[in-house]
Amino acid sequence: MTVTRAATGTDYDELPNSNGARPASAGGWLTSGLTLAGPLVIVYVVTVLFSMGSGSMQIQTAYALADLVIVVGLQLFVGNSGVLSFGHISFAAVGAWTMGLLTIDPTVKRAVLPQLFPWLSSASASPAVALILGAVFGGVLAFIVAPFLMRLNGLQAGIATFALLGVVVQVLSYWTKIGPPSGQSMVGVPHAFSLQVQLFLALAVIVVSWLYGRTRTARLLRAARENPVAAPGSGINITVHRVLAFGISGVLCGIGGAMWAQTNTVVQASQLSTGFTFTVIAMLVLGGTMSLWGAVLGTLVYSVVDALLQQLQSGLSLGSMVVTIPDGSRPLILGALLILMLLFRPDGITRGREFGIPFLRRRTRARSSATPTGRAA
Amino acid sequence: MTSFLQSVVDAIASGALYALAALGLGLVFGVMRLANFAHGEIITGSAYTLVLTWHLGAVVSLMMAVVVGVVLAVLFELLVFRRMRRANSATLLVASFGLSFALQRVYELAFGNSVRTAPVATGLTRTVHVFGLRLQLLSLVTIVLGAVLMMGVQQFLTRTSIGLQVQAASSDFTTARLLGVRANRVIGMTFALSGLLASAVAFVLVTQTGAVNSTFGVNITVLALIGAVIGGINSLSGSLVGGFVVGVAASQLSTWLPNVISNFRDAFVFLLVILILLVKPSGLLAPRNIVERT
Repeated sequence: MTVTRAATGTDYDELPNSNGARPASAGGWLTSGLTLAGPLVIVYVVTVLFSMGSGSMQIQTAYALADLVIVVGLQLFVGNSGVLSFGHISFAAVGAWTMGLLTIDPTVKRAVLPQLFPWLSSASASPAVALILGAVFGGVLAFIVAPFLMRLNGLQAGIATFALLGVVVQVLSYWTKIGPPSGQSMVGVPHAFSLQVQLFLALAVIVVSWLYGRTRTARLLRAARENPVAAPGSGINITVHRVLAFGISGVLCGIGGAMWAQTNTVVQASQLSTGFTFTVIAMLVLGGTMSLWGAVLGTLVYSVVDALLQQLQSGLSLGSMVVTIPDGSRPLILGALLILMLLFRPDGITRGREFGIPFLRRRTRARSSATPTGRAA
Repeated sequence: MTSFLQSVVDAIASGALYALAALGLGLVFGVMRLANFAHGEIITGSAYTLVLTWHLGAVVSLMMAVVVGVVLAVLFELLVFRRMRRANSATLLVASFGLSFALQRVYELAFGNSVRTAPVATGLTRTVHVFGLRLQLLSLVTIVLGAVLMMGVQQFLTRTSIGLQVQAASSDFTTARLLGVRANRVIGMTFALSGLLASAVAFVLVTQTGAVNSTFGVNITVLALIGAVIGGINSLSGSLVGGFVVGVAASQLSTWLPNVISNFRDAFVFLLVILILLVKPSGLLAPRNIVERT
């Protein structure tokens, strides 16, 4: 009996699991249901709280929700495959571009984007359709490049995804047939979605990521992440599963990019480059790369700290004294935060665990060890 | 024909410059498995030093630039990377990415968002005639500087005791330690050396452009890192050759690409990189395909 307890303890609770990786044991449905319900409820509550704030706070919340969608998309790939990507902002950029090109008012468009392809110049769509197309194009780009990039590992994969970002940013900056004259920006993207719509989009993306985590392909991919030598030996074609994950995460990042574009109302390639890449990677690393909950919590914590620092920059009055930090120190503090996190807690705040309540976690463990059959289930 | 030869000399100069940057990255990668994005901020730091102190005289300014480069590199090691020795290479990559980003903001805070300029070594930008070719003196200086530094590093690595220790640590760190190589000394030395190389790169770049901003070193670092990876960052010669190839490619592409698409130069370099990585994932000079555990 003690042996069983020790074994289940190791198997279920000590290993860092990814999305819903916890096997369904007796009472497991509660734990695994919580890994979805927890993030959903917390995102909902935090968003509702912040949306009651001032105008600038609402705008920051809208940005945070767009970031959240991109980070969840990035985590879907990085967390499950264990391969680092610096290239996911490319897909967000494609989504943002689609949103911009299709929703800017036609007369404005002829003025800011004079050299577009004629068919592109006359194309327009409602924001909802543009969002869907942004997701589709983000996914298409990801699926096209994935078979090439996904054959690489480790540093090579990181560098190749970085190169992808470089190519996409340069094409979007300089190809005037699909964008503004070089160095300029697409202005006048209408602010189309209310905070409520953005919130539901973010929640939907979390659900998609959670569902993906429970599929067979995601489990095989995680197995390959844990042991890239044994997995192919057990008949897992790592590349196929990586390509699938990369494509799906491209779709999600496309949605996030489109949400970002209509929040920012200005789209410029230089804004969708290494700076943004830093932000989403910092968010993900802060929370913990290996779990969906890590992506969600990291984005929330980063966004709240960021908002707080912004308040401090413009002067925060605490009682009788006003605390201020110098302009421009905000990104510096956030960068330092990332490095400190990597130094002292490299697995992130969540340590790669999914959402759980400590009390329930203990009870589940006790129950599953009390019934030996629980392990086989 | 003459214009072709001129472009060849320019390409070799550009190759030498990128090779110096790639060598600095490759040295650090060898002992630490760290692809140091923050190398660019060492270059930027040295460049700021040159621009801000050039009025004190060339010798003083150059010496200060070297000191700043070396000190910055050693500080990175002491304050950040030393505490991450056991971390995997993905964590290290993210950490150096974060460090690079944070330092760019430090430079912005300290020196403002606008470009700082100074006429650094303007004498080198004039054109000289050699065998009927019109060449920039700076190209020749870069080639000589690159050759001298690379030979210097090579001599250091093969002729001195600490250099041999660096080599040993870079081929197998654990075994080297067991045989009595002092990890801290060797890694510190390697970072110092990479700082020195970075300040040389900074000198050439500042002389070319005469202007510095907070992201001055980013572009060359990314391209050199990419070069080192396609050459095979596991070996110093691999990094060196890869950096050289990328430098030559960048220079040749900007010479020969038609004007309409010359803006896309880096995009072509990046595509080339992805292609090379697909054919030879461990690098052009890698002895065999090494299966890397991710």
